[in-house]
Amino acid sequence: MANQNSSDKTIGRRSVLKAAAAASVLQLGAPFIRKASAAEPVLIGLDNPLTGTYAINGKNELNGCELAIEQINAKGGILGRPAKLLVEDSTSGDAGTAVQKARKLIERDKVNFLVGNINSALALAMAQVAYEKGVLHIVPGGHTDAITGATCHWNVFRVCNTTQMEANAVAGTLIKDFGKKWYYITPDYAFGHTLQAGMEKAAAALGGTKVGGDLTPLGTTDFSSYLIKAQAAKPDVIIFLVQGDDMLNALKQAVQFGLDKRIHLAGAQQEMEPLEGLSPEARIGTWVFEWYWNQPGVPHVAEFVAAIKKKTGRVPTARTWFGFVSTWTCALAANTAKSLDAVKMAKALQDFKLPPEIALMPNGAFYRAGQNQLIGDLYVGNAQAKGSAPDDLFHVTNVVKGTDVAGTLAETGCKMVWPA
Amino acid sequence: MNGINKQTANALIWLMLLTMPYWMGAIGGYTELGSRVIVLGLAAMALNFLLGFTGVLSFGHAAYFGLGAYGTAMTIKYLVPSTPLAILVGVIVGTIAAAIIGALIVKRRGTYFAMVTIAFGQVFYFVAFRWNEVTGGDDGLTGWTRQALHLGFANIDILGNDKAFYYLALAVFAVAVGIMALLLRSPFGRTLIAIRENEQRARFLGIAVEQHIWLAFVISCLFASLAGALYALLNNFTDPRALRWDLSGNFVIMAVLGGMRSFWGPLVGAAIFVVLQDYVSSHTENWMSFIGMFFVLVVLFFPRGVLGIIKRKVAQ
Repeated sequence: MANQNSSDKTIGRRSVLKAAAAASVLQLGAPFIRKASAAEPVLIGLDNPLTGTYAINGKNELNGCELAIEQINAKGGILGRPAKLLVEDSTSGDAGTAVQKARKLIERDKVNFLVGNINSALALAMAQVAYEKGVLHIVPGGHTDAITGATCHWNVFRVCNTTQMEANAVAGTLIKDFGKKWYYITPDYAFGHTLQAGMEKAAAALGGTKVGGDLTPLGTTDFSSYLIKAQAAKPDVIIFLVQGDDMLNALKQAVQFGLDKRIHLAGAQQEMEPLEGLSPEARIGTWVFEWYWNQPGVPHVAEFVAAIKKKTGRVPTARTWFGFVSTWTCALAANTAKSLDAVKMAKALQDFKLPPEIALMPNGAFYRAGQNQLIGDLYVGNAQAKGSAPDDLFHVTNVVKGTDVAGTLAETGCKMVWPA
Repeated sequence: MNGINKQTANALIWLMLLTMPYWMGAIGGYTELGSRVIVLGLAAMALNFLLGFTGVLSFGHAAYFGLGAYGTAMTIKYLVPSTPLAILVGVIVGTIAAAIIGALIVKRRGTYFAMVTIAFGQVFYFVAFRWNEVTGGDDGLTGWTRQALHLGFANIDILGNDKAFYYLALAVFAVAVGIMALLLRSPFGRTLIAIRENEQRARFLGIAVEQHIWLAFVISCLFASLAGALYALLNNFTDPRALRWDLSGNFVIMAVLGGMRSFWGPLVGAAIFVVLQDYVSSHTENWMSFIGMFFVLVVLFFPRGVLGIIKRKVAQ
């Protein structure tokens, strides 16, 4: 009996705890019961990093997606129905989570479109899920060639460029203006190797040669030994292919060594996000941007910049534009095909030219048929310490047409198979 | 009384697992989530065979989990498009690696053992990360999918049918868990518990402690690689993250969260971990702090884990 009493007491306290737990579970549970509304919205599922290495890039893409949703709904929605964005955090590197979230969006939420991912590996993994399920998938910002190359799928479209296109775009300018002898500082993993192979291929086509190179482990903080070696090789250009924090460290040290005074420093892809993290004197070198906010004379760009500034307080980056274009592509595909059938929409996007208010580029942009790759302009120029405005960190010297650097369809290795 | 309680609990757990795909949808889940709980639950239970019942902490189980995943993926991609064979290859690869590494590290104890397991785990991670031609490097291994099961009397499409894959995973899980339970009840299992409770005394009793720990490590890694094989099939994809130390850490968290002294604890922990991650991360990007806080609370106030609390209540 005594035992019985004591257990009564503990149950009393426990049930309070239980009730509290149940109440909090309810808070989480309630939004999952989807309510049927008069005009069922068309759902776009964004499965993109919000945490980890790519969190900042992911937020910028999300801002672009949100602006696009506002505009789509203001212009009559998708097939007359409102568009709605469902956002899931894919994490920056865990493919298991990204795949799980993709299936959650497709199976449970029944999204009509899947958008993501910044990380190439995650984008490839998601593409496989989307292909399996036959859902239209737009990759905003994963650059690895395979997505619209060797492992291309009829339902997978990509907005950002391939690494090969970026290499081709910057190589011409470097050889013409700075010299043919290049030295490479490359991060030692799949992405770095692909990038260097791409640069070497692009340089070789124009008569450039490699005078040396170093593979640097991911997370290198001290680049001095590599920089001394690079200097001794007497190249015309040092190509920095390191990314993220590694790039910040490498550039800072190159400037401390005074290397920028003697040898031209350059690289392939560069973005606003890392430039913002560099001190003004380390914002140097020739790079390629995939989109830039300061494009005087190009129609609609100013409106887009103003809208994003109003929304976030900052200028849009290439990432913002990727998200914007990806989301708009969903709406344009459905409205052009007059259907939400994935095959019909994918067919409608073959050689589809984006309207100028979405392309926001001097020569426009289109999805190349048979590869599903968006081909637009690329912006080659220099990172700069001080520009016309505080946010003007890049000076565009020439705009390269995507059609000139995309190579032939056969070169991409994509063999598109359509469902019967 | 206790025996009956145990049987009811077991029956309840199996009933829930068997019917999971049919009620997951109603509470906002989906079949894939159930499969994930089963697979990660198996990995956590495999780890707990070593952690909870032998008293040895491994922080490198993801290595064997990942080897199972890569073994399976590479078999289907490069060798034979057969799901059962791929699982078998994955398990063999993971187990052989564990047998060799286990022999090297079995004399270490406590933190040292944990540190060495991390170090060896990271070796496999970097091999997968760097060996682009074979493993696909950082981009992961794509371009393959799980293959339909060809049984003599029927073909089961586990690719297109999520429920079919769930039940395949559950069947494998059931066999693995059954073997683990039998082992723990055998004299061998009792010996492991004796080592956990007092290693010195076990040694004085003439028990070959090193050999027993080595065998427990290998068995634990065998089931971890089996879970890895299922994980690769579940995602139709694998990448170096499946080998990395933070996944090993997640297995430990699942085991401790659910209760590492009880057989089913890690499964409960895995279910909580996976479901919490799935729900909370849809609402806030700070979902990791919620899991972290929950973990801290459990460790501080309920060192026997969630299942420990339930058990104590039932006992009262």
